[in-house]
Amino acid sequence: MEIIGDDKKIRALFSEAKLADAQATPSFTSQWNRAQSRALRPRRAFKLSLAAVTALLVCALISLALWSQYSQPRGTHSVFANVPARTSLASPVVKTPDEVPTNRVQTATVHRPSRSRVPRSTAQSGALTVASNGKAAKEATNIDNWQSPTATLLTSQTDGLFKSLPQLNENANELKSFLPGRANEKEK
Amino acid sequence: MKIDPMEIADFRTELERLHGASFGWALSCCRRDATEAEEVLQTVYLKIFEGKARYRGESSLKTWLFAVIRKTAATEYRRRLLRSLRLAADTSEANDLAAPFENQTASFERSEVQTHFQGALKTLPRRQREALHLVFYEDLSLREAADVMGVSIGSARQHYERGKKKLRESLTRMEMGYGNNWGRQENPSAV
Repeated sequence: MEIIGDDKKIRALFSEAKLADAQATPSFTSQWNRAQSRALRPRRAFKLSLAAVTALLVCALISLALWSQYSQPRGTHSVFANVPARTSLASPVVKTPDEVPTNRVQTATVHRPSRSRVPRSTAQSGALTVASNGKAAKEATNIDNWQSPTATLLTSQTDGLFKSLPQLNENANELKSFLPGRANEKEK
Repeated sequence: MKIDPMEIADFRTELERLHGASFGWALSCCRRDATEAEEVLQTVYLKIFEGKARYRGESSLKTWLFAVIRKTAATEYRRRLLRSLRLAADTSEANDLAAPFENQTASFERSEVQTHFQGALKTLPRRQREALHLVFYEDLSLREAADVMGVSIGSARQHYERGKKKLRESLTRMEMGYGNNWGRQENPSAV
């Protein structure tokens, strides 16, 4: 690398700095000995900050475990216990509003057992099943009671005549009575 | 894990030979803070003594040692920064009182040009400053400088060129302030 012009000046400035640094350089022996003494110095068994952080973490974990254990709802298990078991999915039982156990959930929540040993997720799914069953029964009742708005147009006064057939041994007059009133008048 | 005492004894001779250059490099890595540089160098020797830093002969000893010093200085700097952030409230008052006096005494000892030069060096980005120091102060080639800095030779060259340009500009400004434009001497034939 050819050094020209200001490169020389920069180098000269660096050399000047190097000379100044050389005067301020500490002796190698003292540095080396200090490093050796540092190496031989017994280290602290544990760091205070590390211990504090570990203790905090342990406390947090314990409190989290306790909270998760005591915070689950107590009534869910009994609700699940009162749900009738469904034997087949092919024939769902649709109940009328009278049959739907609307007050079952209320009574179930009143009688709480002292301690729930069923896993939390199972109890929650049971409660969901009860709720969905009640909803299905209500919907089935609604569908059953539903009437079309045009249903009244399909009914007439002569519906009775059409529904009752004349007998074979009836005479003509009796047969005429079968015909609508207006047609009888024209014949007269 | 400690290394063999015989190995350490051989190593010690080599380290002693390079001690001056190592301290200069440590000074550069520690922004010319002599106390910090001493501490860094001590930590480097400790690492070598404990076998945490091992020379495997993949590069020259000087290049390897300088790379270790550079990494150690960076680690120490981060540690100091965290410590200073933690104790910011306590130390700020003490530093405000001590720093101006220290700077004044240091600047009296140096020539004015040297003081300005050091100031200009401090304004350069770290990589550029390192490249210039390794080439001009430690007489390393660009390849060796790249090895120490842990970058490619192309990148080291770029840092070196940019740093030199910035330093030249800064020094030219200073010379113009004194009525002597030495930057022009670079290429006297140019009009």
